[in-house]
Amino acid sequence: MSGVLAHGVGSRSDLPIPLFYAYAGAFAALVVSFLALGLLWADSRFRGDRAGRVLALRLPARPLRVLTLVAAVYTLGWLVAGPEEGNAAPYLVYVLFWVGLVPASLLFGPVWRLLNPFRLLPDRPRRPLPRRLGYWPAAAGLLAFTWMELVAPEPAATGTLMAFAALYAAAQVTGTLRYGHAWLERGDPFEVYSTLVGHLSPLGRRADGRIVLRSPFDGLDAVQPAPGLVATVCVLLGSTGYDGFSSAPIWVDALQSGPLGHTGLGTLGLLAAVAAVAALYGACLWLAGLIGGARGLAPRFAHSLVPIAIGYLIAHYFSLLVFEGQRAVILSFGLDAEVNQDAVGPATIATVQVVAIVAGHVVGVVAAHDRSVRLLPPARAVAGQIPLFVLMVCYTLGGLTLLFAA
Amino acid sequence: MRRAGWLLACVLAAGCGPLSQTHHNPGNSHEVATAGASPAPGEAHTDIAVVAGRVSPPSGWLEAAKGQQVSITVTSDVPDELHVHGYDLEAELPAGRSVTIRFKAGLSGVFEVETHKSKLVLTQLAVR
Repeated sequence: MSGVLAHGVGSRSDLPIPLFYAYAGAFAALVVSFLALGLLWADSRFRGDRAGRVLALRLPARPLRVLTLVAAVYTLGWLVAGPEEGNAAPYLVYVLFWVGLVPASLLFGPVWRLLNPFRLLPDRPRRPLPRRLGYWPAAAGLLAFTWMELVAPEPAATGTLMAFAALYAAAQVTGTLRYGHAWLERGDPFEVYSTLVGHLSPLGRRADGRIVLRSPFDGLDAVQPAPGLVATVCVLLGSTGYDGFSSAPIWVDALQSGPLGHTGLGTLGLLAAVAAVAALYGACLWLAGLIGGARGLAPRFAHSLVPIAIGYLIAHYFSLLVFEGQRAVILSFGLDAEVNQDAVGPATIATVQVVAIVAGHVVGVVAAHDRSVRLLPPARAVAGQIPLFVLMVCYTLGGLTLLFAA
Repeated sequence: MRRAGWLLACVLAAGCGPLSQTHHNPGNSHEVATAGASPAPGEAHTDIAVVAGRVSPPSGWLEAAKGQQVSITVTSDVPDELHVHGYDLEAELPAGRSVTIRFKAGLSGVFEVETHKSKLVLTQLAVR
């Protein structure tokens, strides 16, 4: 079970999607973009944090967090005392936790905020969280985690995971003791990840803590722009894109025969993927500002990339969750069972992948449209959106190309 | 008292896990031949050499139809182990001897064929 694995764990990867699926997806994405440009509303409709129906729900946060702590200690037990072969810990971390956070947050909102064991620490800030810090610690943490998952020499080794767990815990404890729980909201990479994904959930959490039933578009509209938000979304998109690219024969060959070595070239590849995503975003938003006659647009459109990133994440991790999720359960409970390798077939996987990418694109386009008509002067709102649509079409066609070619 | 209870629960949770073991024995029948086995007609076949940490031909794809017979011949200049991921097949690679692993491609997907010690991806088996 050791070895150089694409997603940290996992013994299979997906077949390329059939050409027809790629064309159908690309066609759908283009048609929707142009229809949106011409037909969607002219006045902003989404109300963000004010939207939704308040639910009288009070969740038992403390017991849930204690349960998470027990689960974390259980995983640590595997890391410290478990065998090298057939160890459940990498599957618990990479599959159930990391990949599982996406569907859990899509269904139930910001779940890691509710479960985060670091929130058991007292909320006694010694100083306020500096505004300019924003989401930057989370962006760095997510980059570190995806580096470990996709580039590190031994992503599934217990030593690697323990080193990450120690650094992660140290950063969260230090941040929380200094800045209180405000740190976790912006600095815990997994809480930021889960909260960003959770903005698309029908179960939303308002800034004042009330739980509301709301449209995912209103939820997405409630994402608060802050320094580092663009970087965080670009890390999610870029690392997933690199994941798709990293199993291409040409890249595998370069990794193992190039002069930089596997880790050196892998690190450069991951950073280049994130930088490429960010550069494209920066260039298109600059152009949108130029055409639309507005400044400082970049952070205010970052929310529209969240659904696109989620589309990428679902497309890349769906089969991993189905197959290796079974292995995670079998290993961690010591069940005498086999992974069902026929749980989903290639056609189902390809369909889920294309639908996820295109659906992410559609939601992103609608969110960007609504934000454009709010921020740009009416006469320029349509023209100002063109660079945004070009950007999203690039991301979507890029995502489909990765699914088709690598 | 309550704190001691939690501590006990944590210790139990941590202690029980690693004791459990699963038996992972996929029921794939396969054969390993160390002679100069030539590919049979209708087989998906590739012949790979590892020399001084380099894979030749460079790591690529081996296409196979689901249910087709696959044979992979590997010659390594250092002793190593061959591993077909997903199918979980392993074969010893003695230095300088060509080894052929033969099996039926019963699982669809893309699977890495790699060496364990030198951690080289020899090829990726794509089963449609």
